[in-house]
Amino acid sequence: MITFDRVSKIYEGGSRALADVSFHIDRGSIVFLTGHSGAGKSTLLRLVMMLERASRGQVIVDQRNLSSCADRLAPIVRRSTGMIFQDHKLLKDKTVADNVALPLMIAGLKYSDIRKRVRAALDKVGLLHKETAWPLTLSGGEQQRVGIARAIVSMPPLILADEPTGNLDPNLSRELFALFEQISEQGTTVLIASHDLNLIRQTRKRVLVLSGGRLADDIPASDGL
Amino acid sequence: MSSDTWNRKFRRKNRAWLRQHSYSLFSSLGVLVKHKTGTMMTVLVLGIAMFLPLGLYTTLINLEGMNMRQDEWSAVTVFFKSDTTQEEVKRVADELDKRLSPEAILLISPSEGMAEFRDVSGFGESLDILDENPLPWVMQVSPQQGSTDQVEERVAELTRFLQSVDSIELTQFDYKWLQRLGRMMELGQAAVTVLILLFGLAVVVVVANTIRLDVASHAEQIEILALVGAGNAFVRQPFLYTGLWYGLMGGLLAIVLLGLTSLYLARPLGLLLETYGTAHNVRGFGGYNSLWVLLTGGFLGWLGAWISVQRYLRRLKVGGRLGRS
Repeated sequence: MITFDRVSKIYEGGSRALADVSFHIDRGSIVFLTGHSGAGKSTLLRLVMMLERASRGQVIVDQRNLSSCADRLAPIVRRSTGMIFQDHKLLKDKTVADNVALPLMIAGLKYSDIRKRVRAALDKVGLLHKETAWPLTLSGGEQQRVGIARAIVSMPPLILADEPTGNLDPNLSRELFALFEQISEQGTTVLIASHDLNLIRQTRKRVLVLSGGRLADDIPASDGL
Repeated sequence: MSSDTWNRKFRRKNRAWLRQHSYSLFSSLGVLVKHKTGTMMTVLVLGIAMFLPLGLYTTLINLEGMNMRQDEWSAVTVFFKSDTTQEEVKRVADELDKRLSPEAILLISPSEGMAEFRDVSGFGESLDILDENPLPWVMQVSPQQGSTDQVEERVAELTRFLQSVDSIELTQFDYKWLQRLGRMMELGQAAVTVLILLFGLAVVVVVANTIRLDVASHAEQIEILALVGAGNAFVRQPFLYTGLWYGLMGGLLAIVLLGLTSLYLARPLGLLLETYGTAHNVRGFGGYNSLWVLLTGGFLGWLGAWISVQRYLRRLKVGGRLGRS
């Protein structure tokens, strides 16, 4: 699903965010991406979302080489990727349902289909009863679940999560991971950038460890951190 | 891919496109209605900006349409030498008619001239002391009517012919006045063109600035939309429709202001023209012109919005700020 082949990213001014990173992630798997702050986790996710371009090497997502992809195709790449942000990135002046509906509205679906799919996604994250609520009236955990509902509502083949458990207590973090597992069982690939070592240890999934922009370790599933 | 599958895909894409546009069209109108005061102020500025050149244009088309008694002002008065006979006068009139076919030729004999002079001068019986009638034969020639340029050319032709006739003492015409008016109208038209361009630019700038502020206040929303896969076209849509609505509403206000002004000025203008012995109904802007104003207003509003949003989107991309919290 995702292949990084000797990928480097050097920002203007010469700061190196990634250096010679190579790995492959299979379809339908859950993989953690960890490392200290500034290790290159966010840059790696941004490359997969086509928010950045690799300075060297090839980024291949769902058989599409993003390194040679035209800029105008970036929205299409993003539409086929569900992104979950640490700061949720919800629209404050839209209801929970309207926030979740965004990717479907962008895809131009019929209003009746949008409503059906939004309700199904909210039901999956346990927030159907908050459909008409405003994001600012929700707790941090609830807002994170709205973000997840928005990421899964269009049933993308790939979900990227940037520190999804950053604001959540351990119980909620485990619930959230259970949700990722459920999504992954349906064939969706999930790549989670996280500092949450407890969660990573408990789940015993594959872990990519970044350090100073290099892939320091690639720990297979079940081996544990 | 079979043609059936391709057709289905094409139809689905078209329906999606239509749904997105109709959503943006009405949601942008909803936002404008929600922010009534701001919308009204912007529309008022746009309406006045469009009204000024349109008002001048309407004044000009009304002046052009007025019966300025062109036939009277363009008439050439010919005074024959005092010893010219009636036969000679008739010969000149016939030849003139044959060569240049003017609209009308009126011959005034010395006795008719004296009678008219007696009536209008107030000298009355005092004129009886004259031994003989000193007035010559007079001929009034009205050229075929037409545009200012055409009448000017016909008057010049008449003058050339009349100057070549030996029996004519003097040729006089009042066409200069009408000619000056024609030139002033041309100047007015040029001023309208300049004003239309300037105020059109003002409309674009006002809408662009309004939308720029609108875009700035929606920066977070734009960023989130882009992150979840919205292309530039989708992000632009609501702003472009907002610009379109601004332009259409500004155009509509300008037309309403024009209508009200025409109604208000109709009576005093009618009274003024009556004193010149002419009648004129104030011409409104007309349905066709109004439609043009609406379409142009809508286009200018759309253009202003496009410039603003495009500039922002380019900066967002160039700056690489997307998704950075």
